Amino acid sequence: MRHETVHGPSHALVKVHLDPGETVIAEAGSMVTHTAGMAMEVKMNAGGKAGCIGTLVAFFVAVVRKFVGGDSFFVNHFHGGQTGGTVTLAPALNGSIEVKDLAAGEKLMLTAGAYLASTPDINLEMRWGGLKGLLSKEGAFFVEASGPGKLMFNSYGGIYPVKVDGSYIVDNGHIVAFDSGLTFDIKSAGGGLMGMMASGEGLVCEFKGQGTVYLQSRNVSALVDWISRMG
Amino acid sequence: MQVNLLHRPGSTVAQCLIQQGEVPVRAEAGAMIGMSPNVNMETSSGGLMKGVKAMFSGESFFTNKFTSTGGTAELLVATSLPGDMAILAVDSGAGAGGEWSIQRGAFVACEDTVEIDAKSGGLKGMFSGAGLIKLKASGKGQCLVGAFGALEPIDVEGSFVVDTGHLVAWQNTLDYKLTKAGGGFMAALMSGEGYVATFTGTGRIWIQTRNAQAYGQMIGPKMAPV
Repeated sequence: MRHETVHGPSHALVKVHLDPGETVIAEAGSMVTHTAGMAMEVKMNAGGKAGCIGTLVAFFVAVVRKFVGGDSFFVNHFHGGQTGGTVTLAPALNGSIEVKDLAAGEKLMLTAGAYLASTPDINLEMRWGGLKGLLSKEGAFFVEASGPGKLMFNSYGGIYPVKVDGSYIVDNGHIVAFDSGLTFDIKSAGGGLMGMMASGEGLVCEFKGQGTVYLQSRNVSALVDWISRMG
Repeated sequence: MQVNLLHRPGSTVAQCLIQQGEVPVRAEAGAMIGMSPNVNMETSSGGLMKGVKAMFSGESFFTNKFTSTGGTAELLVATSLPGDMAILAVDSGAGAGGEWSIQRGAFVACEDTVEIDAKSGGLKGMFSGAGLIKLKASGKGQCLVGAFGALEPIDVEGSFVVDTGHLVAWQNTLDYKLTKAGGGFMAALMSGEGYVATFTGTGRIWIQTRNAQAYGQMIGPKMAPV
């Protein structure tokens, strides 16, 4: 599989070239074009190792996610077929696409809506983010992607990696992905109730440990608030 | 008219320079951003039926005609969403390759010598979200189209598949058929791809890298009910 990203950073689109027999998995609805002769198959994103019970759990999670919002939970498998082909993918919002090679066993946590595509060896699993996830405005579910393979994820605005060594504070709504070795806590931005209400920063996430957190330069909640006021 | 595309590609503006005595520039209502004092603007619907037809095709009932009252007049026009714009060369004298189909909502402006006609996309067009009606540009002159996101040209030879929400314009040498993205019930319901256009023949397609409907579906549900 070869890939090239064009029209970044604002309106990025990724072209994925598949050899005969190769497959790429993509978020439902992200396909822009594909060459003739490719086959598309829709599958529930239940994770590679999921058995019958795993599939049932995945279906239950799908229903919950439908109400909570975030990724569509269904993924499309594009097959190169006999001649190979090219499929182009783009996210819904204005922003960038990041492509990362995950080593065997390397895990990256993606926030709701950040997953775009991956090679078939990447295992995708839903992780319940709970109250912390909701307060972080990153969705109640995270997608945990485990290597080896290529992972593509997208942002609202530009994506930039920040190396965390000890502790790092990020405004909620700006997190795209983070190494699963990192942990985070929800805090008040300015300390105490006053800091939370008056600073305009509300809640922040404090990451702890060693690893990388990928941030986006814009915030979907801020966009939604701004448009809502226009009405 | 001479067109310069400024501020490309994220938020493109078309600077149209019109000389006195040149054919008027016809623009979609609301597309004008600014104009020099020597521009004369005239609003018309081109007749009731034409106006009604335009409304069905996702364009406005009225269009505005701009001319120069003396010297070089400057008119700035743009599309409403963040994105790029392109100039299509329309020339019916050159055959089907000189005529373009334009997705509803993508038309911004053209020289008055270009005829914009609403064509029914059929029943399938209505259900596909691709719009009931597409526009056909014929005649001779320049036509400006606007996109959501970046514009990517695709030169088709044989066969090619495009999601209908990403279509901007295509040469009329191409035939297309609207089909479901994948086979079967699951694919139709869950793939999120809905309808795709399968093009055959030889010609150019302009696609946009973002999909307004998908954007609305992402942002809309997050907004508080009014």
